[in-house]
Amino acid sequence: MNPIEEELQNELNQPRKRAGAFTKVVREYQERLYWHIRKMVLSHEDANDILQNTFMKAWNGLDGFRGDSQLSTWLYRIATNETLTFLANKRMRNISSMDDIEDSLLQNLKAESYFNGNEIQLKLQKAILTLPEKQRLVFNMKYFDDITYEQLEAVLGTSVGALKASYHHAVKKIERYFEDEED
Amino acid sequence: MKTNKNISLKDVGKKLPFEVPENYFENFALQMDEKIMGKRFSLRNYFKPWIYIAASLVGILLAGQIFYTVYQNNTRNKEDNYEAYVLSQVDESSIVDYYVDKPAN
Repeated sequence: MNPIEEELQNELNQPRKRAGAFTKVVREYQERLYWHIRKMVLSHEDANDILQNTFMKAWNGLDGFRGDSQLSTWLYRIATNETLTFLANKRMRNISSMDDIEDSLLQNLKAESYFNGNEIQLKLQKAILTLPEKQRLVFNMKYFDDITYEQLEAVLGTSVGALKASYHHAVKKIERYFEDEED
Repeated sequence: MKTNKNISLKDVGKKLPFEVPENYFENFALQMDEKIMGKRFSLRNYFKPWIYIAASLVGILLAGQIFYTVYQNNTRNKEDNYEAYVLSQVDESSIVDYYVDKPAN
């Protein structure tokens, strides 16, 4: 555990210092968690809502956090669950329409005012959207954030072997998508 | 027909093609502070113990005041009753004699 995380965890365990420590937690982890969420939902507004829910869940659940895992791992887990819940709800709402959720996310991305990518980056986002949700998580966390497989295992609860296989397949699928697009 | 077979993830790079509004993270942190501190230090919660203590003190004072008033009334009634009793035992002429014999100040 890094010293900052250890200090924060100690302060969170002291009722008098808890609120102050949590404001430090927000500042320490907000950017990492935001980008983790944003890569999955693509829209800034949605990512903002999920990030708020993530921190509120963490704040309300602090008593349940016994320090068995690292603070960052615990926060990533909450953020991941909140993101997957958001996508599941979105999927439920889209059930009546003909579009699937990935099309809807892509449409949002094209209309997104906070997207500044070029054509090839947009193509990568389209390719990532063809992956199943869990594989998208693995790919995003590994490819963009270079998170170790051990950390991924702690967050996603999947074995290192399965994660390596999932990432490998994700890369192959994306490269195949690029090839097909160029045909 | 494939026009460019060399395109791969390496060509795309790892830079995320997203932006956030200006000062987003500074504002987000402040917004969360408000939510957390607001929840923790909401006036109701902050003053709750003081409200209980103040209410208890007011209750004790009121009970004391009521007890004291009732006690005072009882004492005064007893004194009045005793005076009326004593006067009833004395005839009028004795009272007149008392005042006539009493030296003037």
